[in-house]
Amino acid sequence: MIDLQIIPFAIISIIMIGSSIMVVKSKEVVHSAFHCVITMMAAAGFYVLLSAQFIAVVQILVYVGAIGVMILFAVMLTTRNQEVE
Amino acid sequence: MGIVEIYEIIMDTLVFIFATNPFSPWIRGVLGGLVIGAVFGGALVMVYLERKFLGDMQSRIGPNRVGGRFGVLQLIADAIKLFTKEDIIPAKADKWLFIGAPIVALTSGFLMVAVIPFDLLIIKGNEYAVAVSRMDISILYIEAVSGLAIFATFMAGWGSSSKYAVLAAFRNVAKMIGYEIPMGISILSVAVMAYSLDIVEIVEAQSSIWFIIAQPLGFVIFFIALLADVGRIPFDQTEAEEELVAGWATEYSGMRWGLAFFAEYLHAVVGSFIVTLIFLGGWNGLPFVGNLYIPGIFWVIAKTIIVMMLFIWIRAALPRYRIDQVIDIGWKVLIPLALLNLVWSTIIGLMWA
Repeated sequence: MIDLQIIPFAIISIIMIGSSIMVVKSKEVVHSAFHCVITMMAAAGFYVLLSAQFIAVVQILVYVGAIGVMILFAVMLTTRNQEVE
Repeated sequence: MGIVEIYEIIMDTLVFIFATNPFSPWIRGVLGGLVIGAVFGGALVMVYLERKFLGDMQSRIGPNRVGGRFGVLQLIADAIKLFTKEDIIPAKADKWLFIGAPIVALTSGFLMVAVIPFDLLIIKGNEYAVAVSRMDISILYIEAVSGLAIFATFMAGWGSSSKYAVLAAFRNVAKMIGYEIPMGISILSVAVMAYSLDIVEIVEAQSSIWFIIAQPLGFVIFFIALLADVGRIPFDQTEAEEELVAGWATEYSGMRWGLAFFAEYLHAVVGSFIVTLIFLGGWNGLPFVGNLYIPGIFWVIAKTIIVMMLFIWIRAALPRYRIDQVIDIGWKVLIPLALLNLVWSTIIGLMWA
């Protein structure tokens, strides 16, 4: 009997690895920032799988809700009007 | 058969459903569907009430053609109109962000709905909360996922490559950063007084005295911060019609705009539920009177509708602040007052303990 937890673990891992690659590979810096946010949310998913709901919620509150917003705010302030080819 | 007997039969049925297997995924699923339907319906009711009461308050008639004299079917007509309109995506838009924005807004709303309890059934000494999911940290969870709504504004602002949308996104983020803090601190004061982060236990802690009486300052701060958070009128700079057309939803059309609009009302409805639950006593009846044999869920819904009316009343009564005034209020007034309220609630909470 295979442990069914492997399925959400695999899905979250794929999302996390893919989005963290996209953080580096994206042409537009705003896309990088959004992928960074997705990576942080996937980390919260790992905490839920480890039955650490409190850390998962705090991860969303601090990393996604505060740091992610700050990164996006700064990025959008600096790069508007630059045409990306 | 009297009302009391019908009530007992309903309660016995609920007891049977919950007591056989309270964690059965089928029951949870049905409950989740019901709650989502209820909140959808609540948002529709809020839109209708808003149009009707705004009309009354401004000496207009309001919707009065579709569905009889009171225009009860106006919203359905509007929904049909929105579904059949052309769906336009601007040529210069960042397509994925543009499409994703309303989805993220609605996701944030529905994630908040998941932990809202409507009642607490006590059966043979066991407690069963009428909620999709009961968490130990539900109020913190709501605070966390409500923050996700900012990303919707961001995605729409960047994705639609329009000046109005970008300005609205900037304003929204500047506002949200300032108002999440007093909101978090006033939630914290409630949690300190109730000795719990679980909404169910926070409501149970209000069985003797509502928290609006125990910490009125906290209620005022939370309510103002909530108005700013859901973008209701004194704080709706992100969609100030005279300055920014329709704010971050300027480039949206058809049902995408409908979803964005609906997500805002969903947040307002969920916000009214949270005010009801953490300050107005939730399913506890009136103070000193008790429940009057009315099931708790009706108390929750009645109080929620009163809070919604307060939202509508404020919208009709107050003008809009300038964006710099909004930021000033957030950082210079609400945060110091919220800290003061935290000290107050800590002292009172310790005295009660």
